[in-house]
Amino acid sequence: MTVVKSRLVATTAVFAFALTGATVAFAADKVCTEDLRILSQPWDGLTTTEKFADEFKELSGVGFQIDYLNENDRRAKSRADASTIGRYNVYYIDEANLAQFAAADWIVPITDYYPAEYDFEDFDPGRRTTATFDGKVWFAPITGGGDLMVYRTDLLEAADVKPPETLEELMVAVEKLHDPDNGVYGISLRGGRGSGANVWRWMPYFKGMGGEWFVDGKPAFNNEAGIKATETYLKLFEYSPPGTQTGSWDESTGAFNSGQVALIIESAPLGAMTLDPDVSSVSDKVAFGIPPKPLTGGGYAHGFAVGVKANKTEEAKKCAALWIGWATSKENEERRFEVGQPGELNRTSIFKSKAFAEKFGTELPAALEATAAVTAVNFWQNPKWPELGDRWGIILEELITGQRDDIPAALQELEDFANTLTAG
Amino acid sequence: MRIRNTLPYTFLVPTVLLLIVLAFTPLIYAVMVSFTDRTLFEPTSSWVGFENYSKLLGDRRFVSSAWVSLKWEVVTVSATMLLAVGLGVLMFETASRRQRAFFSLVFLVPVLLPRVCAAFVWKFAFHPLYGIITFPYRAITGRPLDVLSDPNSALLAVAFVDVWQWGFFFAVIVLKLLESLPPQPIEAARLDNAKPWEIHFYITLPMLKAPLVSLALVKAIESLRSFDLIYVMTRGGPGIATETLDMYAFSQGFIESGNIAYASAIAVIMLIATIVIFTVIWKRVNR
Repeated sequence: MTVVKSRLVATTAVFAFALTGATVAFAADKVCTEDLRILSQPWDGLTTTEKFADEFKELSGVGFQIDYLNENDRRAKSRADASTIGRYNVYYIDEANLAQFAAADWIVPITDYYPAEYDFEDFDPGRRTTATFDGKVWFAPITGGGDLMVYRTDLLEAADVKPPETLEELMVAVEKLHDPDNGVYGISLRGGRGSGANVWRWMPYFKGMGGEWFVDGKPAFNNEAGIKATETYLKLFEYSPPGTQTGSWDESTGAFNSGQVALIIESAPLGAMTLDPDVSSVSDKVAFGIPPKPLTGGGYAHGFAVGVKANKTEEAKKCAALWIGWATSKENEERRFEVGQPGELNRTSIFKSKAFAEKFGTELPAALEATAAVTAVNFWQNPKWPELGDRWGIILEELITGQRDDIPAALQELEDFANTLTAG
Repeated sequence: MRIRNTLPYTFLVPTVLLLIVLAFTPLIYAVMVSFTDRTLFEPTSSWVGFENYSKLLGDRRFVSSAWVSLKWEVVTVSATMLLAVGLGVLMFETASRRQRAFFSLVFLVPVLLPRVCAAFVWKFAFHPLYGIITFPYRAITGRPLDVLSDPNSALLAVAFVDVWQWGFFFAVIVLKLLESLPPQPIEAARLDNAKPWEIHFYITLPMLKAPLVSLALVKAIESLRSFDLIYVMTRGGPGIATETLDMYAFSQGFIESGNIAYASAIAVIMLIATIVIFTVIWKRVNR
């Protein structure tokens, strides 16, 4: 009995030792030691990704928590956090604040840490370019693209209006389609303040009309292009639904998806949203095109970057990059695609897949491809862009809501501000 | 005797010290930062004296936000007090004891609602196309009513929500104050055939002057902290029509420019103005 007992104890000890050793060896492969904190904008695709959190835990040994804030609040919070305590391991970065974060060394180049097995080169080249500042790529895209024109086929047919191909045709079409007495507005725009809101939608007119923010380091927007672009934008607002004058993406696209708007020019993810009957009441009567000439599509990309302050060691940075790699992996994009969240697809292997064409037909993929040709970087690529853009956002909102009407004076005020900004 | 003399200090000193540390550390830091050119983007900063303060004088947004803050204080405090006194007196005069208890419970609901939730609910209620508040106007005129995009009505619409939250709560307090008054002067006035409004105008409200003034001051302090309500409903817009001083400071510090030195200067001016104005009002009322 004693011998049996001794053998049992010895066997148990050997087994326990082997198990402990195996666990240590397994843990040694994992770079993560602490749960990750991620600051992001809300996207349905991320909610889908969160459902597979156990998969990341198995991969890394740690969990993660995503804090969601809308665009303006996310920008404010991430800037405050990155410049002070640095609680977040991963920041949600966009094209507008990329220069600011990169120049301040609040993030590190993503390509230095992105795990090779997740294939960074598979991301859409346009989005990789938008994620580039100072010759380095800083974030892995979660969404992006250019602009699409989405229109109601039934309303255009009834009014005998062809999809506009030029700005002049757009103005005529919008006026003809505008019928507020019957609950239809010609076009939907964004009027709410912000470099990524009303200014974002105003810039295609400004750049399309030949405008430049700065020439030889001096402000160059207070000219014919600036005035004409603003006049055109204000004119179009006469046909935009109530609520959009101080509204942003939600109000503008919401008006279209609820069937109140004949035509809209918006960021590319709207295309697939309008085809989704769960969020769009007009999913069976929409078609797509590129923005009318000479409008330039607003090239944009949002994505995840590795924070510096919260990730003090190389291992911590690798861990944060591992999460980014996993969250933006092809497998997770396929999951988003399967549940109908095409706005958060970024990989060429997905866009060019048979399944993508089968699900969205040929028109939307064709429009997405065609719009790439007119997509441009419309904003000033400088760390001080958010400050300049936000200031113009407020002035533009004042013009839209009728608090001021002198466009040259408004642009002059912005120019004075830009001079102070660049001098400081 | 000695123990009796030192006992108050034994209790007071630790708490006062804690209060000083908690209240004065950020205050002193804010004042110091306001004399520098500190931004969120640079780890270092240098002393600039009164430059931030002199810049404020020529800043149209600062002037506008100071004016908006003043209007906000006057409108919300006076409307809340009028509603509270009016409703309190009405309940006191017309409602039975059971009805008063019921209304008191119902009137507490708005203030229990988190401010951000209330702001979202009311923002949707004011929506020009779907809002329940704007529905009658749409039904009668056939035109939408966009109160939050109109610079003339946006501040009043947000103030309406603030008054809705606090006015009913204060009405319950006024009712309880009226119930706590000795009944003899009121009964004597009724025997002299005084009308209800005369009873309250000449007797009960003068008797409640001190608590009503305190209530008004509490509301004034609370109104200074309405950032969340305004931020959710209008974000300070349209343009800068509803941008208050605290919103402008936050915007300068964190949303637009990361210029926390300039934001601190705004906060310091707001603090000084608040202390001066409240002290003057308090002294005049207590004279």
